[in-house]
Amino acid sequence: MSKDPNSEIPKWKQDFPIEQKEATHVSRREFAKFLTLLSGALAVGNTAIVVKSLAFPEKPLEGEHAICMESEVREGDSFMFEIEGSKTIPYLLINLGNGEWRAFEQKCTHLSCAVKYRHDLGQIECPCHKGYFNPRTGDVIQGPPPRRLPQLEVVIREGQVFVKAQQS
Amino acid sequence: MSDFRQSQNEAHPNKTNTLMTGIIFLLILFVTIQIWFLFGTLNNALQENLNFAITTAVGSLVFAFASFWLMKYLPEPIKRKMKK
Repeated sequence: MSKDPNSEIPKWKQDFPIEQKEATHVSRREFAKFLTLLSGALAVGNTAIVVKSLAFPEKPLEGEHAICMESEVREGDSFMFEIEGSKTIPYLLINLGNGEWRAFEQKCTHLSCAVKYRHDLGQIECPCHKGYFNPRTGDVIQGPPPRRLPQLEVVIREGQVFVKAQQS
Repeated sequence: MSDFRQSQNEAHPNKTNTLMTGIIFLLILFVTIQIWFLFGTLNNALQENLNFAITTAVGSLVFAFASFWLMKYLPEPIKRKMKK
């Protein structure tokens, strides 16, 4: 816009005023500049997520992993285990009874709290914010979790429990 | 001696104010939408929904460029004369 009529005050002097009142004052211009900077930072953050997803895609679980013996997990009980991969993910193996076994990621899809199987309720519970999941499908029954629990396929062979990635 | 800009500012003292309010209002709107996009992307990236992430990233960049472009219209402050 107009040329500043008081251009005698150099820029460095404007940025370091003598009075404290002037130093702590945030003008509307400064506020608008801060908002612009924030807008740029948000765009960079959003782009970084895309770049990360494209450059480092998560590798699917490969092969079968032996977990434990079938006799170690009683009916209605669950068993925690971890699988080392590109990152270590905790899982929950559940013996639902009648030969039904399920394995889910143990991290709640809401805020990554550890979920546990409640046989008395017949549901998987997240104790942090009372989220409940279906122990057969991993679907959300109730509470704040936005997505179902990721599931693995369970294979029982010669009394031993194996897990592998679910075939879609 | 007063110039054209000075007489304009004196004739329409609210102009700078209106322009400033409009710019800040637009910037807040852009940033709000960008936060919404980022929240959605974080949620959807976990579900391996890459298309959503790409779309929101492009949208967010457009808003960021619009914000920087708005800076062009940021009015200069009207300052008092400095005593010599």
